[in-house]
Amino acid sequence: MVGRWLVAFAFFLHSYSPYRNTKNFAYNLLENSHYPYKKYFDYGMILLIFLSVYILIRQVKYEMSIEWLFFNNYVISFIFLIEYLTRLWVYSDSAQVVIDQYESDLFLHRPFSLSQAFKTIFKQKLEFILSPAAIIDLLAIMPFFHELRILRIFVLFRVLKLFRYAKSLRRLISILASKKFELLTLALFALIMIMISSVLIYVMEATNPKSPINTLFEALYWSVVTIFTVGYGDMVPVTPEGRMVAMIIIISGIAVISFATSIIVTAFTEKLDEIKEEKMIDDVSKLGRFYLVCGYSPLTNEVVHRLRKASKHIVVLEKDPIKAKQAQNDGMYVLNFDSASLHTYGDIRLHFERQVIAVILLQDSDVANIYTALTIRELNKKVPLHSILHKPENRKKLLMAGIDEMVNPQELVGFMSKKISNQPIAFEVIHALRSEHGGTVIEEIILDSGMSKRFFELLLHPLFHQRLSMLGIYQRETQFFAFNPSSSFAIAAGDIAIIVAKRSLVGEFRNLLHRNKV
Amino acid sequence: MTRSAAVFGFNEYSRQIAEQVRNIYQDFALFVIDQEEKNAAQQAGFSVELFDLSENWQGIEKSFDVENLIVFCALANDAENVFLTISLRATFEKLHIVALAQDNESAIKMKSAGANKVLPSIQIAANVISDMLEKPVVTKVLHDVLYKDGLLNIVEIEVTAYSSFVGKYLHDIHFKSEYDVILLAIVDHEMGTTFSFASKGHNHHIDPGDILVVIGYQDKLDVLIDAVRRRNV
Repeated sequence: MVGRWLVAFAFFLHSYSPYRNTKNFAYNLLENSHYPYKKYFDYGMILLIFLSVYILIRQVKYEMSIEWLFFNNYVISFIFLIEYLTRLWVYSDSAQVVIDQYESDLFLHRPFSLSQAFKTIFKQKLEFILSPAAIIDLLAIMPFFHELRILRIFVLFRVLKLFRYAKSLRRLISILASKKFELLTLALFALIMIMISSVLIYVMEATNPKSPINTLFEALYWSVVTIFTVGYGDMVPVTPEGRMVAMIIIISGIAVISFATSIIVTAFTEKLDEIKEEKMIDDVSKLGRFYLVCGYSPLTNEVVHRLRKASKHIVVLEKDPIKAKQAQNDGMYVLNFDSASLHTYGDIRLHFERQVIAVILLQDSDVANIYTALTIRELNKKVPLHSILHKPENRKKLLMAGIDEMVNPQELVGFMSKKISNQPIAFEVIHALRSEHGGTVIEEIILDSGMSKRFFELLLHPLFHQRLSMLGIYQRETQFFAFNPSSSFAIAAGDIAIIVAKRSLVGEFRNLLHRNKV
Repeated sequence: MTRSAAVFGFNEYSRQIAEQVRNIYQDFALFVIDQEEKNAAQQAGFSVELFDLSENWQGIEKSFDVENLIVFCALANDAENVFLTISLRATFEKLHIVALAQDNESAIKMKSAGANKVLPSIQIAANVISDMLEKPVVTKVLHDVLYKDGLLNIVEIEVTAYSSFVGKYLHDIHFKSEYDVILLAIVDHEMGTTFSFASKGHNHHIDPGDILVVIGYQDKLDVLIDAVRRRNV
């Protein structure tokens, strides 16, 4: 009966969306480091930890007000308690465990085993309770029982909670954990050395009345201070045998420190690329909108240089580590990933619609660009895809792969040569406009419906007349370019005017046009 | 106006150059550096001549009027292209040389070697790609105007000595309203040999030899060309 009721309740919880949403929200806030609001939660908790420590220190010599003590002992502890219980809640899905058990028993024609379900739930929760981070969390709640003065020192466990909220500290722990075996071996060696030297120094020195080392604890203290190369000098062996032990332990101490340092340095060196990569992915996720360039080459360098001048962010995907390194040296955001692999976009947590303005395929071959284009199109149908076209005969294949625009440098050079031959000055004029030499620019101004009158009036304004040329208006809907339209031209929302003038004048024109609209 | 053209080299770039320019000159020649290039060029339908970088170029002097010749140095290797440019310039002071370079670094060397105009292929492609992204409409319109044989066109019109425009000021001529074209720039020989954008607002005095750079539909441009060339009565 209880079992049936429990299964029904588990199914209810499993399908009850407010419950699931709340649990998902709690999980994201506590555990999902990519959740945008998690950082605010973490900052809040870090603030509470520092407040706790401040109150503990202040309490040593000064009287604290009742309100502060109440805040420290009850409010903060209560928040930490809630956090602990929430973590326990989200650690595993108990409703799912009950459902799985029920379905498994049903499939095997067995009666539903309530005890087995509880056992699995308990095992999962115990796993959380016994994890080091959860133990620290629990100890950090202890100052709740502030009447026990000794427990106040448990406030310091709250400092350890910082590991939960500071990503860099978590990374430090993971780096050290990668060398767990080496560090444990070294610790064992140090422990054995301390034990041997403590006993030896005690045997050699304790019977000598002039020696300051008289107890086993003093011998242990001396050994620890010596092996870790601190050497206070408050206790020194006086017998020749004791000094012999000292010499051995000093040499061992140097070895322990050197090995420990080298192990930690090696761990950092080995993980350096991984750390940098993680940091780069984090940085990219904070960039806002950017152009995604696939493939690094001299052409990439030039394109990036131009887009940067337009204050745009660019992220480069390059699978060759040497080229990726070069791109990094050129100051780009580079991710050393294969742009043709579907996994890449999951690993780098890329959200095409939210982050990518357009993808630019600049790899060395049309084959590679087509392969990457197909990968991207599988993930997103809308993102604009631009590509270099290495061989004109592949144009159709690139179009079929979903590439929207392509540029063939050879064809461009051919066209340019023709224009240079025919009309060299006209070519230079257009080239100067495009490259913005001399301050005269050709710009696009996005128009809105109802702007027609003001737009054409402004063109005749003494400030702009003879100094600003409007080449025409591109109609977005019909994709028709109306050259030199008359003032009766009806402007629709999203139409684009092409203007030639000094940059400052274009800015002023744009301002006046939109100011009037407002 | 040059009447002859020569292209040096046969690769993806020089092939495109040759295909684009061979029909606009009275005389056209394609020079290649080795037999392999010669075979490829012949297969592509070009008649070719072999050359080597050490020759003294007397053949060119015999075949072409050098003052009316434009040369495209488009060898695949930038270093060889620089050498070709400097060799031609050393022999022919007045030759118009257009050189192809892969990047800006080589482009500077080509200029130093005496090229009148350098086309740095990587920069050209990068400019077009970034313009397509940042100013797609401008790029499309300019591309069509410059390179496509559409109705919208850009032309240079030289003001003849007897033109009805001579003696007028730029602001006296209503290019937009009267001719339905847009004046982009002018080469005013009183002010120098390079062009000046019309949008700078200077009210140039039009003299014989000045060049107007105008954009418009071909039929309207034809009307303007007629008007510029019409004898002043």
